[in-house]
Amino acid sequence: MMHQAQPGDAIVGPASLSASVVSKEFGAVVALNQVSLELRPGEIHGLIGPNGSGKTTLLNLLSGYYQPTSGAIQLRGEELAQASVRRRAQLGVARTFQKPRLLGTLSVLDNVVLGAWTHVEPGFLATALGLPQIARADRDLLDQATELLHGVGLSHAIERRANLLEHAEQRFLEIARGLAMRPGFILLDEPAGGLSNDEIDHLGGIIRTISDAGIGVLLVEHHTDFVFRVCDRVTTLDVGRMIRHGRPQDVRNDPEVIRVYLGA
Amino acid sequence: MNTKTRLLWIVPGAVAALSLPLWSNDQYQVHLAALICCYWVLIAGLNLVVGYTGQLSIGHVGLLSIGAYTFAILGGKWGWPAFASVAVAGALCGLCGLLLGLPSLRLPGFYFAMATMAFALIVGEFVLAQGGLTGGGVGLPVPGFPPPFDTPEGFYYLAVIAAVVASVLTWNVARQMYGRGLIAIRDNPVTAQAVGVPVFRAKLTTFVFSGVTAGIGGALFGSLQSYITPDTFHFELSLFFFVCIIIGGRGSILGPFLGVAVLTALPELVAPLAKLGNFFYGLLLLLVVLVVPEGIGRVFELIAQRLRPRSAVSVPVAPDLPRLARAIASIQALK
Amino acid sequence: MLMVIVSGLAIGALFAATALSYNVMYSTSKVLSVTTGHIAMLGGVFGAYAISALGQPWWLGLIAAIVVGGLFGWLTDLIAIRRVLARSDEHLWLLSTLALATMVQQAVGLWWGTEPKPFPRLITQDFSAGIADQKFWLPIGLAALMAIGLEFFYRRTMYGKLFLAMSEDAFAARARGVSTDRIRVASYVIAGSLGGLAGFAAGQLTFAYFALGLTLTLNGFIALAVGGLGSNVGALVGGLMLGLLNTFASYFFGGEYQQTIAVGLLMVVLLVKPEGLLGAQNVRPV
Repeated sequence: MMHQAQPGDAIVGPASLSASVVSKEFGAVVALNQVSLELRPGEIHGLIGPNGSGKTTLLNLLSGYYQPTSGAIQLRGEELAQASVRRRAQLGVARTFQKPRLLGTLSVLDNVVLGAWTHVEPGFLATALGLPQIARADRDLLDQATELLHGVGLSHAIERRANLLEHAEQRFLEIARGLAMRPGFILLDEPAGGLSNDEIDHLGGIIRTISDAGIGVLLVEHHTDFVFRVCDRVTTLDVGRMIRHGRPQDVRNDPEVIRVYLGA
Repeated sequence: MNTKTRLLWIVPGAVAALSLPLWSNDQYQVHLAALICCYWVLIAGLNLVVGYTGQLSIGHVGLLSIGAYTFAILGGKWGWPAFASVAVAGALCGLCGLLLGLPSLRLPGFYFAMATMAFALIVGEFVLAQGGLTGGGVGLPVPGFPPPFDTPEGFYYLAVIAAVVASVLTWNVARQMYGRGLIAIRDNPVTAQAVGVPVFRAKLTTFVFSGVTAGIGGALFGSLQSYITPDTFHFELSLFFFVCIIIGGRGSILGPFLGVAVLTALPELVAPLAKLGNFFYGLLLLLVVLVVPEGIGRVFELIAQRLRPRSAVSVPVAPDLPRLARAIASIQALK
Repeated sequence: MLMVIVSGLAIGALFAATALSYNVMYSTSKVLSVTTGHIAMLGGVFGAYAISALGQPWWLGLIAAIVVGGLFGWLTDLIAIRRVLARSDEHLWLLSTLALATMVQQAVGLWWGTEPKPFPRLITQDFSAGIADQKFWLPIGLAALMAIGLEFFYRRTMYGKLFLAMSEDAFAARARGVSTDRIRVASYVIAGSLGGLAGFAAGQLTFAYFALGLTLTLNGFIALAVGGLGSNVGALVGGLMLGLLNTFASYFFGGEYQQTIAVGLLMVVLLVKPEGLLGAQNVRPV
């Protein structure tokens, strides 16, 4: 069923990260068909849908790993589709990955502080010559990263080698690294995957804290209960089309959504 | 290895190294130590390329050759002052690094390795063919340096200075943000991109830097040899540099240094190894790759970990949300 | 002039055979092994050893070359590939095959000597045979046979089709019960045998020379990259092009810049068509 214009559909806000009527085709496969999504600063926006619905594709479009076949990706009103992944990092779009991507041989702290790269943009020569401003920046960033690690609950693992982390710790590390990027928006790719119920509660708390700070959070997830619990708005996809978006209670009770999840 | 342990290694080593000519009567030992320093100047730069950025360049002997020949031609044939010749050698090799790196660094691993190998072979061809400039198969004499560096001991101190400078420069890069970015490029380029590291630019910059150090190392190396021929720069030397880094351990400065020191000295001390030559280096590389791919330095770390009592308790993740809020706020305040 | 063409085709045939070996190993392991050139070197050296030093008939030398090549292929997989593929670090196999290649080159150098030694005549023929000399036609003939044989193997035999399946999607193949490990080992043995045979056939052209391995690894790779990774026809085309370019350049400009010219060819092709002349687009080279 095609997406119908619904009450509460505002024009995309000026400070939002948005996909507007985007389609993505891989050869003959249409992964996304005219989907729109708006992520506002400070909101927690859930993105759900069965396997193959196009959630990850949409996430990759927003973060810069794919270019849309048609439609627009915008950040604060500016066209983003041509911007590289690196450029988006500079513009404050952070993401985590479905399978955590860490630098195993470095410490947890080093992994997190790497997130602050765009805010130093260190030059090779300046670093090699040991200029004091580089060293000072490094120290400050390490302090900030340490605070982030305490915040997400990894105080006990700060100096540990990253490849010795357990699964939940890896996920929280990625979130801390994303926060070190000073993002305006953070896109979480199935962060609850493999977490226990306690850990999911902790994740919810962290996400709320992030959004309270004014950072827009996109939560791509399979744990639909979790999504309905924490999110301000939810978008549902199915086979590349958007079938419903709005407040959690509205989406959860929508007959089309129920049909998609429980089968027809 | 934390700083204290490192100092325990470095300080006595440094003292011994600096005073070497005083307590060693053997000219040969001084020569060997100077050779290690010349190699290290090149390897320190190559270490950032191979050990940190993960670009498997096996052609740096070509840059060593260009550095040595440039120094020999400028300083020897054309009578330029020695230090000016070294500077030009370094700059020229940096340029070569740029020209080689620009097309090749975008290529996937094997293609890149082959490109660097081809580069080394091409340099060899060029040296042989341009006999008028390079003396062809006969080779060239290489000048020395002005006093006080004109004696073997004096030259040794010059080499030590160069080695120390190379160490400090690369150590600065390795331990700070830039170094983390390089390791990200090596181990997880997607992550590097995601946090905003300019992947190609960083690869190229480190590669050019490794060219400069190879050029300077080459000039010093040539001067130490006092006479160079194309055979001096056989391809296996490239392999040797590479092996020093892998064996010493990627992601370390001290590791490859110990690697080059041990692997240079070993064939001199253990005569049968000298006969085996490059077979030995190949065998060592194979063993390291199969058994301890992170290098021998990692073996020591693992042993130390075993000896230290480990806490088997797994600590649950317990966020401190107010602290997190403060942390985010303080980061945003600096925007 | 005809001599230039024929000798170019002959050395090009050896490059093509090496490129074909690369393809066979790559198809099942997605690895480009540095030892590929050394297989042919071993074929030539052991063939010469069997015939000249041990006084055996030529067909025994042939068998020796094939067996040694196949064994080395098996050894490459055992030592440098098997354990390494399991690890997550992508480029470890580059290091392990490089190490093995160095070891085998140096070992042969120590045993056989570092001078190129003449390879014996296989069929009685006058040394003034000119362009009809067997040293040209043996490698050319063999490369053609290899290409046809591989084509037949892949298209017509069950085993060959398994190879193709594994090359397209190793994961899916494994899921359908195909023993991918065994196929990989088999592919390395086959590539080794073919490489050994190629080295034997080209022995009179290259001489039995320990250092042949590395240059052949590089030139075989250039042939492969020019023709297109994964394409057997491309391997032939790339190899022959490279061989002809080599001999023509030597004829007109002297033989001093062979490597430079070879690399020049590679760069020109890669700039125009990065996946090689006949390569499939989106073939992700390692």
